Amino acid sequence: MRTAVLVALICTAIPPLGRLWAGPTLWDRLTGAASLNVRITLALAAEAAFAGYGILLDVALAYAVLGFLGTVLVARFAERGQR
Amino acid sequence: MIGTVFLAAGLALLLLGGVGLLRFRGPYERLQAAGVGDIGGAFLFLVGLILRLGWPATGGILVALIGFFLFTGPLSTHAIAKAAFVRGERPSED
Repeated sequence: MRTAVLVALICTAIPPLGRLWAGPTLWDRLTGAASLNVRITLALAAEAAFAGYGILLDVALAYAVLGFLGTVLVARFAERGQR
Repeated sequence: MIGTVFLAAGLALLLLGGVGLLRFRGPYERLQAAGVGDIGGAFLFLVGLILRLGWPATGGILVALIGFFLFTGPLSTHAIAKAAFVRGERPSED
């Protein structure tokens, strides 16, 4: 069950990775990165829950916060233009 | 049992959001597909984890994670869309 869930999550992480690789615009790449962050957070949470390794849950929460902050920071920086 | 159903539904929604992210045409369409798929999929997946593994083991932090996703998903989507619009990206007409 644990391996199946992790493999399925990795399979769902392939399309955002492709969009991050070959998005025509910066906004597509940002969308792909945000989507990938969600999947990585879910993988951490699933691993923590299935393996009973509780401290990974805190790692997942911190990763979610940092991923959101990174997305918003890059979006706001790109909104102001290249200066 | 029902936890497995929730987990499968969340994974399916994440996969559908990914397919939309890969197949849609413009940045706004892809943003919409990714936003809806991510929030719904993460919500269902985490609810499935809670239902499957029981409350005392993992409950509180997973609920906090659900609340965080429900709160910040629309925020990041809005940030990206607003930045794209301000920088002159316009939605496709047809």
